[in-house]
Amino acid sequence: MIELLNVPSLLTVQDSGRPGYRKLGVPVSGYMDDYSVRIANYLVGNPGNAPLLEFLLSGPAMRFNASAVFAVAGDVDVKLNGVLIEPWTSHWAKRGDILEVGTLRSGLYGYIAFAGGVRCEPLLGSCSAYPKANLGRPLNAGDVLNLGYAILTGKEGRYLPPELRPDYSAKEKTVRVVLGPNLDHFTEEGIETFLSEAYTVTPESDRMGYRLDGPAIEHSPKGADIVTEPLVPGTVQVPANGKPIVMMRDAQTTGGYAKIATVVSEDLSILAQSRPGTKVRFRAVGVEEAQEILRRREKTLKAIEEFLAGKMRAYRIRTFGEERTAFTKVEKGD
Amino acid sequence: MGETMNLKPLGDSALLVSFGEVIDEETNDRVHALAGAIEKANFGWLIEVVPAYSSLAVIYDPGLIDFEGVKRAVEGLGFSEERFEGRLVEIPVLYGGDYGPDLEFVAEYNGLTPEEVIEIHSRQVYSVHFLGFLPGFAYLGGMDERIATPRLERPRLKVPAGSVGIAGKQTGIYPLESPGGWRLIGRTPLRLFNPSKEPPTLLQPGDKVKFVPIDEGKFEELYEAEWGEGDD
Repeated sequence: MIELLNVPSLLTVQDSGRPGYRKLGVPVSGYMDDYSVRIANYLVGNPGNAPLLEFLLSGPAMRFNASAVFAVAGDVDVKLNGVLIEPWTSHWAKRGDILEVGTLRSGLYGYIAFAGGVRCEPLLGSCSAYPKANLGRPLNAGDVLNLGYAILTGKEGRYLPPELRPDYSAKEKTVRVVLGPNLDHFTEEGIETFLSEAYTVTPESDRMGYRLDGPAIEHSPKGADIVTEPLVPGTVQVPANGKPIVMMRDAQTTGGYAKIATVVSEDLSILAQSRPGTKVRFRAVGVEEAQEILRRREKTLKAIEEFLAGKMRAYRIRTFGEERTAFTKVEKGD
Repeated sequence: MGETMNLKPLGDSALLVSFGEVIDEETNDRVHALAGAIEKANFGWLIEVVPAYSSLAVIYDPGLIDFEGVKRAVEGLGFSEERFEGRLVEIPVLYGGDYGPDLEFVAEYNGLTPEEVIEIHSRQVYSVHFLGFLPGFAYLGGMDERIATPRLERPRLKVPAGSVGIAGKQTGIYPLESPGGWRLIGRTPLRLFNPSKEPPTLLQPGDKVKFVPIDEGKFEELYEAEWGEGDD
């Protein structure tokens, strides 16, 4: 059992969301940055989608009323009983220990995973908080969290080397998109503007959508409004003012603005972690390439999971002048 | 009636089927027939189907199939022979007074009496074209244009759950307490969205809806039955 002592900003329980209810108007929800989440969960020996805590910018303080294994994902100072400890590493906490998570130096969302996951009463099949529809609520100081059952031994001390940690500090980012489906609502110049100019994340951005500012994207004579159609997290809608809005995890299920593109799944994490002021450029890829990117990413995450579990060894290689991390199986007797 | 099916990617994990940008009953019936056929086909890669007016999204697992594969599977469904039949759902409404503070305005705006507005609003059978905007919010087709009224110039900060309103040529019910600019003409005691029920919404895509005027006594009785237990 864990008691929250201090909650300085939005803190919610999230998992991979509640697919299956979108035709009833229920957003899919779920964590904003699934890359960080999956690694945080692998660090403590959980399946990648186990429920965990998501904080916006500043992390909470909490007291453990029973021992637990935890890991913090984010570019942030973490203290256990006042002593600095490593993020991206699984640690053992015992009864009475106090965990304090500071403010992110880069990125927007940080995560705290616990071995066994945060226990919750799933609503419509998910623990993800979507307070607008009374599906869970933001957590407050004084709230108590229960953890799922986990064999605790052997899961602490797992460590993600710095070169494998996501780096969200760039002030300018490129995000890949699949164009469409409402391209007939834009002029060729409009599409060119979208793909060549930089757009700035504005403070009017939340778990539902990120509003961007930049050169107006020109609509064709068909205009900005469409007959309402479904949309998904990552979809870029362009209302009449020509400024793009990227829908995020709590996006409504349908929308009435023309959709110029949808961000590829891998890069939606990167966009989610972009603070107001960050410049974003969009680059078009075909749907086949987007799906290949996704398959490669699954392979990488699988390798990271096995590496963290001690089944893989990581090493640095240099290919085409670019240094990267590769993995190899740990052989018997190694 | 919309054009033929047009299938396009909606990102790397969804496909959008469009029958053209139209709002009519026949096209919407095709959307629901296709949605039903996709669900019935029980594809292993299918995550869910999201219907709208004249389009639907097919959300799939790209780890199991690629875009071309989904496109072929959807194109190969012989759904056009399927007839789509929705349920008829009756929704009791207490019109006017505190529950429908804009009923008088809607009447005046259209040169009618409040009684005539109620009569016109509750006579029609509406179609649930789809759900969206908020959990359980139904886009209803079929409102009589004699009661069409523009939205409020300044939206209310809090509209209670169950409020029945008119916005332009549309009518709808707020499933949750939320801000909103619709002209409120009444309120239903029924819960449009209840996460502890399966399915969690009173209305399903493709249903038919009829509003039934009730009095305050009936409202209280039904309200107690729907909302009494639990405090959310």
